[in-house]
Amino acid sequence: MLDDKLLKRLCTADGISGDEEEVRNIILEEIRPYADKVDVDNMGNILVFKKGKQTPKKKLLLSAHMDEVGFIVTDILDNGCIKFACVGGINDSAAFAKQVKIGKNKIPGVVNLRPVHILKPDERTKNPPIDSLQIDIGAKDKAEAEQYVSLGDSIVFDALYENKDGRIIAKAIDDRFGCLVLIEMLRSELMYDMYFSFVVQEEIGLRGARAAAYTLAPDCAVVVEATTAADVPYAEDEKKVCCVGKGAVVSFMDRSTIYDKEYYRLAMQCAEENNVRVQTKTMIAGGNDAGAIHCSRGGVRTIAVSVPCRYLHASSSLISVEDAESVYQVVKAVCEKILEL
Amino acid sequence: MKELLKKLCIDKGISGSEDEMYDTIKSLMGGYAEIETDTSGNIIASMGSENAEKHIMLDAHIDRIGLIVTYISDEGFIKAEPVGGIDLRTLPGSAVKVLGTETVTGVICTIPPHLSKNSDELSKDKIWIDTGLSVEKVREIISLGDSVIVYSELRELLNHCVAVSALDNRAGCAVLIRCAEMLKDQPLHCRVSFVFSVQEETSELGAGTSAFSLQPDEAVVVDVGFAHQDGMPKEKSGKIGCGGIISISPVLSKEVTDRLIAIAEQLGMECDYEVTGGGTGTNADKISSSRGGVKTGIISLPEKNMHSQAEIVSTEDMEKLAQLLTVYVSEGGVQNA
Repeated sequence: MLDDKLLKRLCTADGISGDEEEVRNIILEEIRPYADKVDVDNMGNILVFKKGKQTPKKKLLLSAHMDEVGFIVTDILDNGCIKFACVGGINDSAAFAKQVKIGKNKIPGVVNLRPVHILKPDERTKNPPIDSLQIDIGAKDKAEAEQYVSLGDSIVFDALYENKDGRIIAKAIDDRFGCLVLIEMLRSELMYDMYFSFVVQEEIGLRGARAAAYTLAPDCAVVVEATTAADVPYAEDEKKVCCVGKGAVVSFMDRSTIYDKEYYRLAMQCAEENNVRVQTKTMIAGGNDAGAIHCSRGGVRTIAVSVPCRYLHASSSLISVEDAESVYQVVKAVCEKILEL
Repeated sequence: MKELLKKLCIDKGISGSEDEMYDTIKSLMGGYAEIETDTSGNIIASMGSENAEKHIMLDAHIDRIGLIVTYISDEGFIKAEPVGGIDLRTLPGSAVKVLGTETVTGVICTIPPHLSKNSDELSKDKIWIDTGLSVEKVREIISLGDSVIVYSELRELLNHCVAVSALDNRAGCAVLIRCAEMLKDQPLHCRVSFVFSVQEETSELGAGTSAFSLQPDEAVVVDVGFAHQDGMPKEKSGKIGCGGIISISPVLSKEVTDRLIAIAEQLGMECDYEVTGGGTGTNADKISSSRGGVKTGIISLPEKNMHSQAEIVSTEDMEKLAQLLTVYVSEGGVQNA
């Protein structure tokens, strides 16, 4: 069973792209007893080696990203409010009226809005662009706000965590869930030697993974992710991409990678052999660190295994616990299968 | 005041379900006031003598905006419609609490950015809630007509400000309760009815029915008003921290309003004023025209981000308004009336 306490710690830790320290510290603390070698590189990636019972012919890298989407302080206004920019892909509605935390001291704030009462009819049915919004921390003016907030401070969602009745609602499941799977793998006894990377800056262009793959120079890689499930009532069937509750997601292609065809079949086979549910994406959508890893150096054979996740880049994402377990089973099995090839 | 707000800004009591707040009011005021409910569900706390010459009604609506469950799909998604003037823009991706036989956490459905253009039109006919539970479980716990509340936790901001949903108008209710606490040890020369009225957000029902039944001589309505903020006209709003907003309107009693202004000055408060040309859009419209008319005034708390989970008020303003109200009542309201 996946460690719910640890997932809660990981998801409620704050770490937007470029500011992953809090998450990194938790992971370092968790993995040190189980790893044979742990390094933190210049970008902040955690690079890990763990010995298995055997040394395989190939070098396999298991990778997940530590960063989450969020915002960054770009200006402090005369009225004491804060202007901000998105870090990662966030749509206009996701920030609106939300509670947030700012900077190292986690100063609480809310995203302001013009009350609905004074809007024109056409303004009531459309979210204004994020760059028109301001965050309020209750400061009287700019000078007071500057005592608490600085330009460049990270801003994260102040969100709930709930694991109940077989489903989890939390922020940052993308990709703290992937980090959890890697930690669980490290805690387990491995058949083969393996490399692990907990990488930074996925959400702003797969930047950490590029460096990690370069340094570790693997032959093959498995990326563990959370991927968009759009199976909501008003989505057309073929645009649902994947569905919560229908198992681990193994895709043949997304917007950044055409996956290794043999590995794709192996992953499907692993699911069947382990009697866990698996699905593929019904749309060429999304992208993840595989996009940076598969083209690293002379090429890396790569597959991604993901948990289907609704409301991925928002304050409250939702996954099924059973899907999460399925991902772990498939990842564990496919790593061994790949190294046995 | 913050502790009081924590007790009042709970996941209960959307318009039409205010009975869920009865126990809270009873526990807060039952020690010194008579608490009863009337036909519409208004919760009324009375102090002072029944035979007093003057009867003052203090009104704060206790309902909060929310959603109501209208349909459950075969996949277990829950469809809901607004109760009160909910801001549709605040819904997509927001966490909610569905008040079934158990309280269930859910998320308002949204199409992810990868697949949607941001031009998605919001519509009150497209509000779906995702609890992630099986349809069987959903149908076991949740029924049509159940209440839904947009989730938020009370957060303390700078300058004694707090942010949480339901401040409209649980903050007004807190002002009434604080006023009652200050009055309870004073000799009262009038009768006071603290009315926690129902369904303001949908129809101002409770204000009309309670004013009719109670037949007060005077009334003061405590609600939230617009605070100065980006994009809000100054003349329609008051500054957070000013102490409160006193309304001036043709439907309000000049005597009550002048008395409120005089007391505010006497207390050294620098209140803002909101002047409206016609009705006030608050419970005062109903109360002032009840039966043969009730002399009515309004004081309100400047609030940012009204009708959202990002509502902000200042607890200092709340304390000051409670003081103003206390002096108003203890000095017998409009003098020589």
